[in-house]
Amino acid sequence: MLKLFKRKPGGLSCGEVMEVLQSYLDGEIDAETAGKVTSHLDLCVDCDLEAGVYDRIRSSLATRTEPVDAGVLRSLESFSERLMNGEIDTNGVDND
Amino acid sequence: MVLLMDRPTETSAFERHVVPELDVLYRTARSLTRNNADAEDLVQETLLRAYRAIDRFDGRYPRAWLLTIMRNANINRVRKKTPDLLDDPDATFERSAEFADHADPEALVVEPVFDAVVEAAFEALPAMFHDVVELVDVNGLAYAEAAEILGIPVGTVMSRLHRARKRIRDHLTTAEVDVDTPSYRARLTKGS
Repeated sequence: MLKLFKRKPGGLSCGEVMEVLQSYLDGEIDAETAGKVTSHLDLCVDCDLEAGVYDRIRSSLATRTEPVDAGVLRSLESFSERLMNGEIDTNGVDND
Repeated sequence: MVLLMDRPTETSAFERHVVPELDVLYRTARSLTRNNADAEDLVQETLLRAYRAIDRFDGRYPRAWLLTIMRNANINRVRKKTPDLLDDPDATFERSAEFADHADPEALVVEPVFDAVVEAAFEALPAMFHDVVELVDVNGLAYAEAAEILGIPVGTVMSRLHRARKRIRDHLTTAEVDVDTPSYRARLTKGS
């Protein structure tokens, strides 16, 4: 933890990196900050390990994505088609 | 395949902006309803509303526009189902998810395998965290898109998501799972 006060690899402290790390992994921060985080991770083993853990958690959760059933998709496409062809009465839609 | 020629402007706009989003709409509806049949109904209701409003849509950010329509349609759906709910959209969403915090914490330690612990920790998350993780990490929505469907600020999505992942990370520590992941940087560089 002493290094928190001593070094700022990439121009960011470890605490600053931890604050933006997950947005960084999600690609939700600006390019300049992302560059600084990348530089920091290149030089800081502890933060790099932490980034690896969170990235693996994201990947693990992403594998839970269930494919959309082709039949359901076809049914929704067909519904859209009928809407566009005026075959569905849209006047009864409740817009509240 | 639908031909664009000879279609009225609204129909062309619907086909161009709405139809390509069917997959995302259904995945999101499934997260909101936890039920395939209800999800399909919710997408159909969203499509109906979108069709009626397409002439007022400026063509920018169709996904965000559709997610807003879906959020409102879902609030209405839940109100009809359970009329005693409060009017807070966030609470409505959380209650509509019908999620129970049922996981047994001891079960998390039994199987020290990364994915199994992540899975159990994810299922044990309180609804407000679970829903954000499902929309962003499982279904791949951007922060702003998740904010749109939940009707909450982007900052709240970010904060809930980060706190949720921290909880999952803490479960990994408790379960003493080996978290050494030397190859992730190569994948990150390639993937995003």
